[in-house]
Amino acid sequence: MPQSIRSTTAARAAVFAPVAGGGRAELVAQRLTDAIELGLLSHGERLPSESEMARQFGVATVTTREALEALRELGLVETRRGRDGGSFVIAEGSRTARIDRRVKALSRVELRDMGVYYSAIAAMAAELAADRSTPDDIQHLHATIDATDATAETSSRRGEGTFRLEVAALSQSARLVREELRLQAEFAPLLWLCLREETHRVRSREAHLAVVAAIEDFDGETARRLTVAHIAGAIEWLLDAKAELERRG
Amino acid sequence: MTTATRSAVVDAVTAVDATFGTVFEQIDSWRAAIERHVAAHHGRVTVTEIDELVEALVVPGLSAANALIIGAGFVASPGFISDAEWHLAWWLGHANTFGVGSADPALRRLEAEEDPSSESFRDYTTLEWWRVPAATGAPHITGPYVDYLCTDDYTLTLTVPVMYEGRMIGVAGADLYVNDIERTLLPHVRAIGSTATVVNASRRVVVSTDPHRPTGAILRPDDTAEQIACGQTSLVLVLG
Repeated sequence: MPQSIRSTTAARAAVFAPVAGGGRAELVAQRLTDAIELGLLSHGERLPSESEMARQFGVATVTTREALEALRELGLVETRRGRDGGSFVIAEGSRTARIDRRVKALSRVELRDMGVYYSAIAAMAAELAADRSTPDDIQHLHATIDATDATAETSSRRGEGTFRLEVAALSQSARLVREELRLQAEFAPLLWLCLREETHRVRSREAHLAVVAAIEDFDGETARRLTVAHIAGAIEWLLDAKAELERRG
Repeated sequence: MTTATRSAVVDAVTAVDATFGTVFEQIDSWRAAIERHVAAHHGRVTVTEIDELVEALVVPGLSAANALIIGAGFVASPGFISDAEWHLAWWLGHANTFGVGSADPALRRLEAEEDPSSESFRDYTTLEWWRVPAATGAPHITGPYVDYLCTDDYTLTLTVPVMYEGRMIGVAGADLYVNDIERTLLPHVRAIGSTATVVNASRRVVVSTDPHRPTGAILRPDDTAEQIACGQTSLVLVLG
């Protein structure tokens, strides 16, 4: 029931959801890296113990140990011994530098593919929302947009996540909402990198307003089209940024 | 409408009223117990006290086999609890897989951000399950809605205002899965024999005999359809 009390609670839960498939240590390490970059895990926070994390992720303890080792090497975690010991998140220093490293490490194919997948989920959510929203829901979306300060990057980033989550919730599909949350945890810091620039923060706000107007008009087609275009724009910006980073070496 | 159909309609309305009525009765007993406690303590209650009280009240209902209730508790009005500006005393049942991703989750307490200075804090008094009972002073059914923070699923939330000396000191409430409500109500609605749909106060479909009317869709007004209020609930049975 206490929806939105802590909009990161569910996203945090997704961080520790069981992982499947091979390369489990890498998957666990990636999940934690993403969470640190996204700010879901903050500086100085103590991670659950190796065995507790193993239980939550549904992997062997040795796997979480391996993942933590990888994070220590990346300088994202430090492990202290003793009574108040444990593994602690290091999120100080430049978030920008860390994200830039990841943008460079991922191929264009991967980045574009992530945009396609995310856009499939977000656009379907927007289309369904147009068919299923009440005037009260519309007002709630407007309140979400109004609560976002387009002059500030952090606020815009958070606002982007909240807006998308609210739209997904209006689709009335629990699966779409869960997928939206999972994808936010995985992609959001990269996908919305364009929010570093104020022009894009303003553009994002305008895109949200246009989507809400379409939802209000029961115009699912337009809500979908605008959402696809907005996400495609973010991906093109990201690919330009990657090209620029690579030029600089 | 034949007498048989009329009687099936009455049965369906009674089933809807009884299903939610039973849950509301339980919430109302929690409300009464909280109000008694608060009155006995002259309106001064601490976090520890309220948590102990609410846990003792809601946990038996959450532990029962086949319980419809999958989450329950009390959410305090800002400033009411003497040692916490914001406070949620909310428990999640065995059937509630929120946040654990396991098939057999334990009964546990919801961890919510109560620190308003935290980036992730949000004011619950703006949400429907709080806002409506606060405005009307009456019980309210929120949803069906996807509750992404507490059940991770398609949910109905029932809330009742809790009062002390004429002002609202919080809401007592319970969460239900829409899945369970569909299973419970569909046989009764189906017995009507023609198209019948239960909608909430915003005309959102809760359950319909027509498989092409999805739960969660808004049923657009149709002047020809007969509408029958479902007893004490704000739900409406739409025929045709």
